[in-house]
Amino acid sequence: MMRAASWAYLILAYGFIYLPVMTLVLFSFQGSGLPVPPFDGPSLQWYGEVLGDRDVTDALIHSLTVSLGSSAIAVALGFCAAYGLARFILPGSALIRGLLIAPITVSYLIVGLGLLIVLTNAGLALSLLTVAIGHVVINLPLAFAIIYASMGAQQQNAERAARDLGAGELQVVTLVTVPMVAPAIAAAFFLSVTLSWDEFIIAFLLSRFDITLPVEIWSMLSSGLSPRLNAVGSVVFLVSVAGVLILELLVLRRRRA
Amino acid sequence: MTKRISALLGGTAIVALAGPAAAQELNALVWCDHTDEALIAPFEEEFGVTVNLREYEGTGAALALLEQSRPGDWDVLVIDGIDVFRVVEAGLMAPLPRDELPLDDFFPEIVMEENNAVDGTLYAVTEKFGYNTISYNSENVDPEDMQDLSTVWSDEYAGRISIYDYYLPVMGLAALSAGIDTAAMDAASLETIAPVLSQMRASAASVAGVVAAQTALATGEVDIVVGGGEWLTAVLSADQPELTWTIPDQGAVRWTQSIGVLADSENPDLALEFVKYIVSAEGQARLATSSCFWGMPANSAAGDILTEDQRAALRWDEQGDYLARTQLYPAPDADLDIEMQDLWLDTLQQ
Amino acid sequence: MTGARSGAAGWGFVAPALLWTLAFFIVPFVVMGAMSLATLDGRTLVWGLHPDNYVELATRAYLWRAIIVSLEITLTVTIVSVLLAYPLAAIIAFRVPPRWQRLALLLAILPFWTSYVVRSYAWLLVLAQEGIVNRALTGIGLLDDPVRLANTRFATVTGFVHFFVMLLTLTIYANLVQLSPNYRRAAMDLGANAFQTFRHVILPLTLPGIVTGAFLTFVLCIGDYVTPQILGGNTELTVPQVIMVQLGRRANFPLASALAIVLMGIVTLAYLGCARWLRLDRI
Repeated sequence: MMRAASWAYLILAYGFIYLPVMTLVLFSFQGSGLPVPPFDGPSLQWYGEVLGDRDVTDALIHSLTVSLGSSAIAVALGFCAAYGLARFILPGSALIRGLLIAPITVSYLIVGLGLLIVLTNAGLALSLLTVAIGHVVINLPLAFAIIYASMGAQQQNAERAARDLGAGELQVVTLVTVPMVAPAIAAAFFLSVTLSWDEFIIAFLLSRFDITLPVEIWSMLSSGLSPRLNAVGSVVFLVSVAGVLILELLVLRRRRA
Repeated sequence: MTKRISALLGGTAIVALAGPAAAQELNALVWCDHTDEALIAPFEEEFGVTVNLREYEGTGAALALLEQSRPGDWDVLVIDGIDVFRVVEAGLMAPLPRDELPLDDFFPEIVMEENNAVDGTLYAVTEKFGYNTISYNSENVDPEDMQDLSTVWSDEYAGRISIYDYYLPVMGLAALSAGIDTAAMDAASLETIAPVLSQMRASAASVAGVVAAQTALATGEVDIVVGGGEWLTAVLSADQPELTWTIPDQGAVRWTQSIGVLADSENPDLALEFVKYIVSAEGQARLATSSCFWGMPANSAAGDILTEDQRAALRWDEQGDYLARTQLYPAPDADLDIEMQDLWLDTLQQ
Repeated sequence: MTGARSGAAGWGFVAPALLWTLAFFIVPFVVMGAMSLATLDGRTLVWGLHPDNYVELATRAYLWRAIIVSLEITLTVTIVSVLLAYPLAAIIAFRVPPRWQRLALLLAILPFWTSYVVRSYAWLLVLAQEGIVNRALTGIGLLDDPVRLANTRFATVTGFVHFFVMLLTLTIYANLVQLSPNYRRAAMDLGANAFQTFRHVILPLTLPGIVTGAFLTFVLCIGDYVTPQILGGNTELTVPQVIMVQLGRRANFPLASALAIVLMGIVTLAYLGCARWLRLDRI
């Protein structure tokens, strides 16, 4: 009884989770101009339109640039802070940790609004750079937390040994510590890229001419109903899923090895 | 590690910047119909320049954006016809040379000298117009009922209405149904139209932006869109001819958009060329049928370029009647504008 | 920490992240606080210590109603999401054979990678009058006429729950598999039935994970603009929607800032309310 109920629940839950995705993908192949039943496809015309749209492909490249760039900075800053706090006795370290984690508890909208006020008053023109600054703010706490949690005492012996052998601080960090916490760094980087890639409100508030993909999709949404939106959404989904699966396979393979 | 990051950043940045570097750039603050590639690309090719476009939502936000920006940030502005005086008052617009613009070819009602010029100096020129009125599904509602605004949002159609989410035209329609001219709207008339808005909201299933209103109408979620018009249903009518629009007996609200050059532009000549392109017959035809929303071109010469079907969808031949029966958007001053927005939001949230 | 050193070098490592957080998070936050006490004279910003915006928040109907709407939606979403995600995580952790668990989990969170904006739009299509759900319900005779699902609070909540069920399934699953099976075995050996084991052993042990996930849900949900804007039909406005109206239509930064500060206040209260179980450093 329990067992059957469990499987039934599992199936229902997956049904719920996949309902919008399946609808989205199905009507991206719609033949006519409206993505609602009845389905009269399949047709690939919307994919052709979307992939030939310069605005969409530009936005895709902008999104990649911002997410990779901001994640690299967030992870670099997060790693350094984690190393400093884990390996040195600093006055007020609990306060510093709290400060670094704090942005997690604040809505993206508020982070974006605050930055919008300060950056425009400081006379800094909005661009992809300001979007990236905002994305570092939201990703730094996560990167720091993930990497800090992975810095146990177990790596310290190796660091001390390297130091005894005459390695300088920089060599210890780059040649000993980084390789040992590499999985955490990779996880932090991957999470940051994912969040930045899909982030809307900060990118919306802090950009001007060059916009990221979520903002482009938003402006497509505000300009009319069309299976093009389904096609863009499906493409983004497939690309992201491919990325996740490749990563999953690589990680799995490494674990088995 | 940092070296690798900068290499990574550099690499992607180069990809992003690939393509021939444009000699000049033009920065335009616009509505979404200007972002159509078919409209912009011919200008970019002819002049060998890049046009950067940014959409905005309300005049208040555009004003704030322009006042915060530095000289050279913006070259061209597209704005509600009724709001031109606000940007001119703020000293943001540059004068336009009348003799270089085809104003003689314009629909006379649409030249709107009193809106686009101050003390005889022209600061902007009308580029497109249309109507905020009643869109409906002719299979599910009685077209006769749509001729009377008070029947439209009566209890008879409760739950089958969507209201277009922009306070100016919808409050204008409410004013017309209460017998108030949009031009005469003041703080006192808000008290008169508050109950009308309240009734409208009570009958409404949703308050929707362009896409949400189209979705709702196309999927049968609602049968009527208050504030709709050709710009809402023209895109849908190819697939669903039963979706149509009308101008009721009390009239409807006319929207117009104007385009002008900003005083702080560092490319004033190129900016003027852009304005001239947009109001030329070719530019007007492209703008009228732009992918975001359709609308009548201000320049009647565009009629020779538009196809028969396009003119029919725009109801080209009925414009004389429509122009006579519609009134411009309400044009509140700053204080009344805030009062109107507060009333609008209070009504939504009732 | 053993072997930790003191010294200026430590500051050298911490400083960049600290400075970044100060410059781009703390300073904006302080400026926003000051902005919430400024007023607008026409379009001119007047700095000062004016309570005007907060007075307006308390007295103007659409503003304080927005706070109530946001709280109602967020609490509903948080509770429903936890209630739906917990069994799912438990089934994956305890019923699905271990070698398939990773795949089952991955499948459960894969739609996470649809673009956020698109996901809300997809729900609009699903819930539409002629959408899949209404077609199915009328098709099997459960309904005579389609019901209005899109453009309602129900749609907003559904869109949110969909997203947070995925997030919570992940966090709760991570918590459940960390539990040693010995706890369950011990409880069973002592004569506890399945429910008692859950109630007295598993639930208390996984509570920190649940609360942390629920808190994250709360924070992300109450601050979200996209989902209610696309799915809610605009017949009621949440705080983020009102903030965006202030920004987009009026450029009223002072009032938008005051609303943001109130939003922050609510999140802080929620934080204090569940602080004893929160493990934010171990998400």
